[in-house]
Amino acid sequence: MRADPRYGAEVLRRFRELPGAGDATGDAGVINARADAADDGARVVLSLRIERGVVVEARFRAYGCPYFIAAASWLTDRLGGATRREVAEWDWREAAEALEIPPARFGRLITLQDAVRAAAAAWPGTAATAV
Amino acid sequence: MKPPPIYLDNAATTAVDPRVIEEMRTCLGSDGDFANPSSVNHVYGRQANARVERARAEVAELVNAAPDQILFTSGATEANNLALLGTARFHRDRARHLVTSRTEHPAVLDACRQLEREGCTVTYLKPGPSGIVEPGQVATALRPDTLLVSLMHVNNEIGVINDVGAIGRLCRERGVLLHVDAAQSAGKLPIDVRHDAIDLLSLTAHKLHGPKGVGALCIRREPRLGLVPLQFGGGQERGLRSGTLPTHQIAGLGATYRIAREVMSVDIPRISGLRDRLWNALAAIPEVELNGDPVRRVAGILNVTVDGVEGETLLLALDDLALSSGSACASLHAEPSYVLRALGRSEQLAQGSLRISLGRYTSPDDIERAAMRIRAEVERLRAIAPPLAAAAG
Repeated sequence: MRADPRYGAEVLRRFRELPGAGDATGDAGVINARADAADDGARVVLSLRIERGVVVEARFRAYGCPYFIAAASWLTDRLGGATRREVAEWDWREAAEALEIPPARFGRLITLQDAVRAAAAAWPGTAATAV
Repeated sequence: MKPPPIYLDNAATTAVDPRVIEEMRTCLGSDGDFANPSSVNHVYGRQANARVERARAEVAELVNAAPDQILFTSGATEANNLALLGTARFHRDRARHLVTSRTEHPAVLDACRQLEREGCTVTYLKPGPSGIVEPGQVATALRPDTLLVSLMHVNNEIGVINDVGAIGRLCRERGVLLHVDAAQSAGKLPIDVRHDAIDLLSLTAHKLHGPKGVGALCIRREPRLGLVPLQFGGGQERGLRSGTLPTHQIAGLGATYRIAREVMSVDIPRISGLRDRLWNALAAIPEVELNGDPVRRVAGILNVTVDGVEGETLLLALDDLALSSGSACASLHAEPSYVLRALGRSEQLAQGSLRISLGRYTSPDDIERAAMRIRAEVERLRAIAPPLAAAAG
């Protein structure tokens, strides 16, 4: 039986298996960064545990289309080992390219980027407040 | 091996009944009634013509019409277009106002928009939260220059039933034509064009285990109803629909309606029972709501809103079930259902809707499995969703 041709293999795998879904373990060094799309109800929470200045665990919760959920899952792998600077500079186009996400859904990746920016702002030791 | 997906998209189209396939097969080969039904100068043509006329009688009988009221088309879309454009263009010097509803099929809405471009005015009624257009709404919308009211008998997305009999009698009293799109109701509900004062009735085969590509328009005979054709050529179908008649398709349509008439009294209660069993199972899932009137609905269509999961996401998760989010036509686009939006559902809730439609071949086991799978996937996807911003504090 043919898989749904609208979605790439990696999107389908991540959507089915949901690797990275949930919350980071423990309380110490954990930040939760959230972003909500203004128009369509999509929302994501990134849960990052940070030790010695790098992300040691990344998890997500997401409501939205399959691309959005798969991209949030992909992001949890991408952020592993990242420094605050790398997190702050992350660009949504990287996920679009890696997962072959169609342009019509780019708006949702920007919501994902908003959550990443919020994580950088809430990084332990910065003046910003966690979301 | 993984079992094939369970087919629950019968409002989009249905598998053709084997008896219909056999009827069609006998019109195709050199040993069958393959000839042009207009070639009545030889025996082959007369045999094909007899098959066409037999089918015409079978279609007519299902809706209590006379055979000569039935005009074959390529389906309900063409029948709707011919009904609306044909009558409006014929009567354009007499009346220029039409009434329809916001929840009609695009085949009616787009035809109305074309007529607006041609100078007609159209009133688009908004159904109540039940999805039903009430006769009182129609009565209020009628004007001295109203030519025609066009409403669907059964809504293709949510399955609710309009009282076309009451609306028909009302229109007849006021001298206004009534067109009814019966694509989702023919063979599933009793239709009586005489009793219900229906002037034009659009029909199709493929929603009722018949072939795609064939339908009919039932046209009032007395007094004669003026209609301008949309296509020109050989003058078939009394000059209203030129083109060689596809004998196999028409024979298939006739067989479809004959079988429907024979099995209706058994099929409808069985399918209604399965639909109710499915709804009872889904209603036990928190924040799942039925769309449309809970009582006045056709047997085979169940439309539910699932809060907390996007429709596209749920459909992909449920790829072992063949169902749709909104109508098949609308699901080519990512837009939320305009029908559910017209009923007052938010964009987000309209996106999280599922249309589950049952048919002659839906089994109790299909329904048990579908209910179990929907519950499992709703729970899985809700478990990873963040709370709404207001609740998140």
